[in-house]
Amino acid sequence: MKENHNPAFDPQVSALLRAARGAPTLPPRFEQNVWRRIEAAEAPAAPAAWLDALARLILRPRFAVAATAVLLLAGIFAGTREGRQLARHDAQMNYLASVVPHALR
Amino acid sequence: MKRPLIILIGAVVLGAAIFTGSFYASQRATVACCVKPADDLDWLRTEFYLSDAEMTHIRELHEGYLPQCAEMCAKIAAKKGELESIPGTGTNLTAEAQAKLNEIAALRAQCQAQMLQHFIAVSQAMPPEQGQRYLAEMKQLTLGTNELMEQSMSDHAGHEHGTN
Repeated sequence: MKENHNPAFDPQVSALLRAARGAPTLPPRFEQNVWRRIEAAEAPAAPAAWLDALARLILRPRFAVAATAVLLLAGIFAGTREGRQLARHDAQMNYLASVVPHALR
Repeated sequence: MKRPLIILIGAVVLGAAIFTGSFYASQRATVACCVKPADDLDWLRTEFYLSDAEMTHIRELHEGYLPQCAEMCAKIAAKKGELESIPGTGTNLTAEAQAKLNEIAALRAQCQAQMLQHFIAVSQAMPPEQGQRYLAEMKQLTLGTNELMEQSMSDHAGHEHGTN
């Protein structure tokens, strides 16, 4: 019986085949260009990602209720403070108007 | 891309509206509740933490001072009327007009002295610390504006001299 001899399994033939293929020469700055293209492809996706995340957060009922409460309380606090200052100023002007003669104003 | 941006802008606008609305509502409510325009002396009570007895004394002083103040105002107004009735001599200031101006200035000084005397009397009717604070504030409010004006005038004059 004749021995089945496959040349592909022959290490000598394989080495010859690898040497014959030859490595293609890469264009200059090939690696840099690849990375640049990868970054360019990823860049537009970044803002949309954080915007999406923020929008999702805003739409959460818990967050919406908490933010509304904080803003409402901050507004009331600042308004009361400002109102006290205004009231004090108005009362002071009332008193001054009563004691400082018109001739001296 | 567009939908999240619209949500974000809407949230910012809504948040600003909530803050502004609550700010103005509470500001108006505070002013409405705290200001009593009918009582001129209300500021003294709240600002200087005065008792009812101190307020009664100060009210007496205040009511005693008001007619004196009105009298001085009437005198100054009368002198002003006299000044206006002096016939003008074109571009020159007459001796008579100059005399009236001097009389008005003297009346104003007298009026100011009377006012300061009243402030001193009121400050003495308060607890010492509050009295000092009241006097300092009243001096600053009534004389401070004149001093500022004089200061700005002298600064202005100084600059003019500097440039000449």
